[in-house]
Amino acid sequence: MMRKLYFASTATFWIVVLGFWAGSALTPGVQQPAVAADRDITAAELARHATPADCWMAIRGAVYDLSPYLPDHPSRPSIIEPWCGKEATEAYATKTKGRAHSGEADAMLPKYRIGRFAPGGAQ
Amino acid sequence: MAISASTLQRWSIPLLAFAVPLGFVVWAFPTGLAPLRAAGIVTGWLGCGLLLVSLLLMLREPRLAFWLGGLERMYRWHHLTGVAAYVLLLLHPLALAANAWPASRLLAWQTLSPVTESWPVWSGWLGLLLLMVGLATTFIPGIRYGVWRWLHALLGLGVVVGLLHLILLGIDEPVLPILAVATAILGWRLLRGDLGLAARPYVVAAARRLTGQAVEIELRPLADPVAVTPGQFVLVAFAHGPVYRGCGEFHPFTISAIDRDGALRLAVKALGDCTRRMLSIEPGVAARVIGGFGGLLGNAGAAPQLWIAGGIGVTPFVALLNDGPLLRPVRLVYLYRREDDATYLSELRAIAASDPRLTLQAIATGNDLPDLDRLLPAASDLSGVECYLCGPAGLVAALQRALGARGVAAQHIHFENFEFR
Repeated sequence: MMRKLYFASTATFWIVVLGFWAGSALTPGVQQPAVAADRDITAAELARHATPADCWMAIRGAVYDLSPYLPDHPSRPSIIEPWCGKEATEAYATKTKGRAHSGEADAMLPKYRIGRFAPGGAQ
Repeated sequence: MAISASTLQRWSIPLLAFAVPLGFVVWAFPTGLAPLRAAGIVTGWLGCGLLLVSLLLMLREPRLAFWLGGLERMYRWHHLTGVAAYVLLLLHPLALAANAWPASRLLAWQTLSPVTESWPVWSGWLGLLLLMVGLATTFIPGIRYGVWRWLHALLGLGVVVGLLHLILLGIDEPVLPILAVATAILGWRLLRGDLGLAARPYVVAAARRLTGQAVEIELRPLADPVAVTPGQFVLVAFAHGPVYRGCGEFHPFTISAIDRDGALRLAVKALGDCTRRMLSIEPGVAARVIGGFGGLLGNAGAAPQLWIAGGIGVTPFVALLNDGPLLRPVRLVYLYRREDDATYLSELRAIAASDPRLTLQAIATGNDLPDLDRLLPAASDLSGVECYLCGPAGLVAALQRALGARGVAAQHIHFENFEFR
């Protein structure tokens, strides 16, 4: 019985993995989520959104509102929450022993983009 | 109220298999997430908890085995929890990817894709593949034991890599202690079980041919003997002798007699490479012994008993008869292929002739499963009788069905299969 369960579950797993791959391969182009009006966001404005409930971060010149994503982040809150309201490119690029976040994270980010980061811009 | 040993033995493993994974889920339960993402996280933690229980159940410590209801029971649950954990861990990445599917098919594949340049994803895949390969070897029959045990060890490596996957994701707070426990269990098993630090030194004092394919080996202790009782088995690794080449691996052997000076006699049937070589074992060969384990008749009361043995499965019953006169009426049904293949047959006939409490029913069955309906006592004669079975798994399963059909309740049917893969 356990032998059957092993072979059935393993076969089903690979079929579903292939299904995800086929779904991705058959998707025409990269689906970019709708981006809000790309306005300039200054360091001061960024700093006003520094709580887990209202968490903006600047990464590679863009500002993201990551408040809805924080509960999904796999690490414990104390790792990501201190970066709310800050320029976090370095933290994003050096997650684990100097390695960058995954392609999955890169693909997810545009959904949360709210503007360009203009550190020295007028308020 | 004090909990009796038998209650603890009965419920200890199910409780562990329930409480450890559930404890992990309660500790790490995600709130405010989409249902599929939460399901992905929950299946991961349930799998992790079950794997930890599965690891604990592979330890070969006599005292632990006693409290957990015996080594064979531990191995049954080791397999059950291991496969359940595997299925849950297969669901874990699929649920996480399925969560992203409605928003973006590309994102769903990015969640799974092993080509994503990221150690957290690579380590997750590596852990899962090690579990997959390690389990595949468990379910493919015919692999030599020596090869099988190293391939099976991939499962232990898979557990460690899976926990590293969590640490690389930044979830180090509950995982580091879990990794420490898992590594300690694996190290404990390797050092004490596989390398034999838990073993006591013995030496082969004599070897006597029982049949063309079976031998009885007498082991004398060189230090304190192991604590064993009749009906139990021990794990023994034999070294090289002047001619005999030992396998060096620990294999289970049932005790056929325990002498007053602590010497053990073991019955060995040539069933594989290692045991075939043991037919020509010679006195003076060093042996390491761990045990004792099991206890087919450990909690026997005063009720009359029916013992049914198939082939070499008669050995624990021989040990009980060698231990002294019977205290209750016993009917021993001994099934073997041919008379020249039947171990201890003449000894059993002699005991039955001198002990009126023993009724011996010795039957040569040939190569086919005998007609059990004809061999077994009538249902009326089985009322109030405790039934003990020992033999090949197929025979034991057939006997369970036949006794069940005669109205014998499951709690009155006791058996050991000695399946240790």
